[in-house]
Amino acid sequence: MKITAISIYDVPLTSHVTYNMADGKTCDTVSSIVLKIETDKGLVGWGEVCPIPHYLPAYAYGVRPAVEEMSPILLGANPLETEALMLKLDAHLQGHVYAKSAISIALYDLLGKASGLPVYQLLGGLVQSSMPLYHSITCVDPEDMAEMAKEAYAKGMRQFQVKLGADSNNEADIARLRLVREAVGAGPLVYGDWNCGATSLNAIRVGRAVKDLDLMLEQPCATLEECAAVKNATGHPMKIDENAHDTASLLKAYELGVLDAVALKLSKFGGIGACRRARDVCLHLGAMMCIEDTWGSDITTFAAIHLGASTKTSNLLNVCDLAGYVSPRYDEAAPTRADGRITLPNGAGIGVTPNENTLGQPLTIIN
Amino acid sequence: MKITRITVWQRTMPLTEPYWLSGGRLKFEELDSTFIRIDTDEGISGWGEACPWGHTYLPAHGPGVRAGLETIAPSVIGLDPRGFESVNAVMDMTLPGHPYVKSAIDMACWDIAGKAAGMPLWMMMGGQDATPVHVNSSISTGTPDEMLALIRKASAEGYRVHSAKIGGADTKADIERIEAISSALPDGESVTFDVNRAWTPGVAVSVLNSVSARDWVEQPCETLDQCAHVAARVQNPIMLDECMHNFDDHLSAWQMKACEGVKVKPNRVGGLTRAKQIRDFGVSVGWQMHIEDLGGSALADTAAIHLAASTPDANRLASWLCHYHLADDPVPGQGARNINGLATPPSTPGLGVQGDENILGEAVAIYGG
Repeated sequence: MKITAISIYDVPLTSHVTYNMADGKTCDTVSSIVLKIETDKGLVGWGEVCPIPHYLPAYAYGVRPAVEEMSPILLGANPLETEALMLKLDAHLQGHVYAKSAISIALYDLLGKASGLPVYQLLGGLVQSSMPLYHSITCVDPEDMAEMAKEAYAKGMRQFQVKLGADSNNEADIARLRLVREAVGAGPLVYGDWNCGATSLNAIRVGRAVKDLDLMLEQPCATLEECAAVKNATGHPMKIDENAHDTASLLKAYELGVLDAVALKLSKFGGIGACRRARDVCLHLGAMMCIEDTWGSDITTFAAIHLGASTKTSNLLNVCDLAGYVSPRYDEAAPTRADGRITLPNGAGIGVTPNENTLGQPLTIIN
Repeated sequence: MKITRITVWQRTMPLTEPYWLSGGRLKFEELDSTFIRIDTDEGISGWGEACPWGHTYLPAHGPGVRAGLETIAPSVIGLDPRGFESVNAVMDMTLPGHPYVKSAIDMACWDIAGKAAGMPLWMMMGGQDATPVHVNSSISTGTPDEMLALIRKASAEGYRVHSAKIGGADTKADIERIEAISSALPDGESVTFDVNRAWTPGVAVSVLNSVSARDWVEQPCETLDQCAHVAARVQNPIMLDECMHNFDDHLSAWQMKACEGVKVKPNRVGGLTRAKQIRDFGVSVGWQMHIEDLGGSALADTAAIHLAASTPDANRLASWLCHYHLADDPVPGQGARNINGLATPPSTPGLGVQGDENILGEAVAIYGG
């Protein structure tokens, strides 16, 4: 089998609720880059990457030139050589893991379709077909956030990520954590996420003010060392996101004692294969994993959910139904959240068949 | 003063000789460079250049510079170009990472600030004089005899500092190269053995503990952790290059005792502002440094030579000049040139190198009014 063409689409995804994070980062309408990889056997693989602006060293407009730079390696190559082909891409263009993530998803989609297997079978097999979700609550007024948490709780959600820091107001952040904790009662997991936006001083002040509550903190500061200082001073367990992007950073987070939980996002690590390796390292290190992507619709959402489905239940913190936060959805037949959980789509590969009308005209077709 | 417009040009610059990276990485024959001019409301304009060394060397590529500028350039329109730190903060907020894109804007801001102040960049960066800096040769890998012949040729051209490329699957060949070159080196000349990440830590320890030479060894392995492991087990001073992407990496390298010197390349770390921060840190902890750019014409080379010339002698080793290896000179005769193994920064205000629209041709993008 040979790759004959790569189409690149730029699909504007609009969030149902504008999503606010610390440092003025927001996510209202953002570009998702979708790849269609066509082959001489007629099989088509789909990939997607949707970088949130200003969030990670990744941006939507960087995907196209990077894919074009790598296209001499891809065109004519056998897409079933998933990881061997990724090695060639790494030799051809270092870094740019977010662009490689979309390629990797499309290659696994093709490998699955060619073999008649769902992607989870290629990643070690089915451990669970239904996985817990978390609900991410945008950083607005504390009372409104508590209300959102209650609504999500009533629909079965049991894990709540509370975005902090958007107004640089410690008292408001303390209220956000208290009110959401109260709103959902004892039991559910509640974690406060600064997305690197806090100094260790402010994160420690907030964390100590809610020392009496059952909470986890997520990526308060920009470096692992600062996050470790926050954990040590507040006693709250720590989830790492932005600072965990390869094996070395996972090991460092573990050594610093902050790998209670970690976000494994496909586009941070460089796709399904790279994330699978990270998943296996995290199993060894005993970390709880959130397996997802930065943002996006059905393709990358379910690519990550396949990896989640093949991950040991005791270490799978949650997955994310990103596609449920945005429109358009590419595949109306793909699963939606029910009772705080999500299930796998049917079929070989990722199991998502995009309605091409939702994608618009391609930016370019490389062939 | 406010930035009003940013104009972008692309230029393909052929190398005089094709370049092979060690470890079987690709051969390339030309560089893809991006030139920018920043215009201001006060009529002063500044020039910048970003030119990755091919697309296999670092996580950087030519088309990525232009794509990144599309996202970043609008965010700096209206800023005062002389406020380097705030310009960089806005660029970092707009697009995390991608330092190789930002260096062109940062360089043009320094050019404008120097022109506005009436000072050459070597003075803005703390220098007393337009100190000539040693240019180092770049010796391709080969047999010991072939490499020594290239070194003798370079010596005759005035070079006193050599960078000899080694590193391959054959450890015995590397041992022979190091011993032959080190023992035959003329008095007053020095060599750095540049491995370009080709060794695993085991090979590095094995080779370096088998040689009697005590010359500098550069970037023996892929990662900072691996290099630190090697540095703790060998006698040679270690220089780090490709694994250093930001200030934090330099802080880690120092904490890990991973090196005695670093290569400071503005394009790799995000521009002159970031490179100067790293240079200043290096001076404070006693590192010896090679200060040069990743690639580019005499425009980018000259920016780096200003930083090198303003660095204390004790902390400055030498600088490589990319433009010397190009069959294209888009800034004819301007800037710091290699004269008998020495390069001297211009003393006109700013960078001292002007791009020429007639040579660069049609712009590929214009941001602002």
